[in-house]
Amino acid sequence: MARIVIDPITRIEGHLRIEAIVENGVVKEAYSSGTMVRGFEKILKGRDPRDAWAFTERACGVCTTVHALASVRTVEDALGITVPKNAELIRNLMFCTQLVQDHVIHFYHLHALDWVDVVSALKADPKETSRIAKSISTWSRTSPKYFKAVQDRVKAFVQSGQLGIFANGYWGHPAYKLPPEVNLLAVTHYLEALEWQKEIVKIHAIFGGKNPHPNYLVGGVPCSINLEEVNAINTERLNHVGSLINEAIEVVEKMYIPDLLAIASFYKDWASYGGGLQNYLAYGDLPTRSYNEVDSFKFPRGAILDRNLNEVHEVNGRDSEEIKEYVAHSWYAYAEGDDVAKHPWDGETEFNFTGPKPPFDYLNTDGKYSWIKTPRWKDQAMEVGPLARMLVAYASGVDEVKEVVNDTLKRLNVPVTALFSTLGRTAARGLETLLVVHWMKGFYDDLIANIKSGDMRTFNNEKWHPDTWPQEAVGVGMTEAPRGALAHWIRIKDRVIDNYQLVVPSTWNASPRDAKGQRSSYEAALIGTPVADLDQPIEILRTVHSFDPCIACAVHLYDPDGNHIHQITFN
Amino acid sequence: MHTQENGKTTILILGIGNILMGDEGVGCQVVQHIQSRPLPEGIECLDGGTGGFHLLDAMQQADHILLVDATVDGRPPGSVLKLRPQFSSDYPRTLTAHDIGLKDMLDAFHLLGRTPRVTLFAVSIKPLGEMSTELSPEISSQISHIAEAVLKEAKTILAENHLEK
Repeated sequence: MARIVIDPITRIEGHLRIEAIVENGVVKEAYSSGTMVRGFEKILKGRDPRDAWAFTERACGVCTTVHALASVRTVEDALGITVPKNAELIRNLMFCTQLVQDHVIHFYHLHALDWVDVVSALKADPKETSRIAKSISTWSRTSPKYFKAVQDRVKAFVQSGQLGIFANGYWGHPAYKLPPEVNLLAVTHYLEALEWQKEIVKIHAIFGGKNPHPNYLVGGVPCSINLEEVNAINTERLNHVGSLINEAIEVVEKMYIPDLLAIASFYKDWASYGGGLQNYLAYGDLPTRSYNEVDSFKFPRGAILDRNLNEVHEVNGRDSEEIKEYVAHSWYAYAEGDDVAKHPWDGETEFNFTGPKPPFDYLNTDGKYSWIKTPRWKDQAMEVGPLARMLVAYASGVDEVKEVVNDTLKRLNVPVTALFSTLGRTAARGLETLLVVHWMKGFYDDLIANIKSGDMRTFNNEKWHPDTWPQEAVGVGMTEAPRGALAHWIRIKDRVIDNYQLVVPSTWNASPRDAKGQRSSYEAALIGTPVADLDQPIEILRTVHSFDPCIACAVHLYDPDGNHIHQITFN
Repeated sequence: MHTQENGKTTILILGIGNILMGDEGVGCQVVQHIQSRPLPEGIECLDGGTGGFHLLDAMQQADHILLVDATVDGRPPGSVLKLRPQFSSDYPRTLTAHDIGLKDMLDAFHLLGRTPRVTLFAVSIKPLGEMSTELSPEISSQISHIAEAVLKEAKTILAENHLEK
């Protein structure tokens, strides 16, 4: 039996440590610890609620816009504000932009290197890569000459002794199954995706004024529509958005999805590992009418228990008995004791660090061992993210979701249970990207049609002025970050923020056990994962990365010397 | 040094950090200070916040990037280290720049075939404490000096480049 530590998990945002007990080459037990410090309420308390979005979106460079969206919705919910149709559509376009860019980056730049051996790509025959590329897609750049040129560039880079972005891979590990030619294809698209992602995010700058950290507005969106005006959302800018959406459809249909399926076909054994929890939670998003009409969402809201796809449970963020957070294994203290759970409106953030001083070997996992709180829905541990969204949509009977999921299962020739796995999670992310780029086109067409009908409204100012607010109000704003369910809760008192809490996707997935000892998503998913070589636990990275961890929300408390610790002890 | 297609040189002053983490946001604060005055043609400023991949476009557009970021390296708070790194491995390990993002971007340039030069101003800060939008007195008092030094460097590079042509 060996206890292995991976700290930090690389190619994620934020700092995550995994300790796993491995017996006979299989993970028997796992612990997830994140250095997320939350102190938002301390920063936000006493401020104007209309400003909260600007602070929350600074929490992270990855999901900036979704934090702003959750924040403005929270305040609108508290004050009873409905936003105009154009604002809802523009928010949807911002949301889709973020999701599509983030998922493509995750696949090519954060997750692919768990499956793609960069060094092996140097041995590839570019002619064969070209043949494979043409056989799976009508993508434009597929000539042998093109792949040869990329291979030469990567070769020169590696020969300069600088692995750089490729430095933290376990190259040559036997768990890599792709032929060199497919590796070269993926490395080439790694670079193409990098160039492309900087284009798509221009949509954030067009509607949000700037990037990174675009502007949001309580009551609408901070841009005016005037087709003739230079400084407004005009015909030229809308045309630009339209062409960026068309490019995104091309990239997803002709590059991402064919690559995903090609790579997945070599790793079908990963459809039997990494399933973990049996429960899935999605807040849903992308209203086709209004955010207040949950039944109009493209991504439905709901919960699935025990993998029962015949029943979807209703989820209510305002019900104090549904979503609650534990700190039994987290470095916080609740006034009423650490065994209770608290709804975010009553949330407390009192630090109580009891962990070991560095350098140390292991965390005391019987006690507190993470900076992440442990959220539960009706006391159940829930997985959130693309797989949860697709399963909730599937179980809710959304036809286009059922179609694309069933079609993919058939093409890979795997049963429906294959969804509950590391591979299923990675595939679900790709499939929802495919759906979202097309939905995005629909929202764009709706926006143009609405503008042409003469509706230019982007802002509802009825309750902008604090004089119109009640003395006290509470609100919740829910959305889906690319990596899962995200919500903010606010308590407004005397027209300023009295309490503000965020429950972010990675608190659901990366959290430690709750007071009853129930594992959260990462810990549960790692059990049963094979580890062939304790020195190179690539399999653990595959499963953890399949969740797309992002635990920067709030912070980066760095190890003072930034060490990449990887240690193993046998006992 | 290569130049933009229009023949003009662009220098990007890029501040990185999290303004919610007090001194960790020093890079952004320096940029905001520089932005408060008119800048000579050819020098641009960007508050990069915590943005990683979002910054690629702006960085690629520049010929020379002056990067301002915080580092927790044990030196007195407010001291500034000026470096000319080439690859990501040349950066101080204690730079607070985020795991995915900035350093990866710099390596990506080599692979994408356009490599702007980078000058890094690493500002030493104390180990991070609780969240706060306030700077410590040690850092706060240095903002205008750091801004001055960065701007001076930018002007020098601009002048050198005009001479080269």
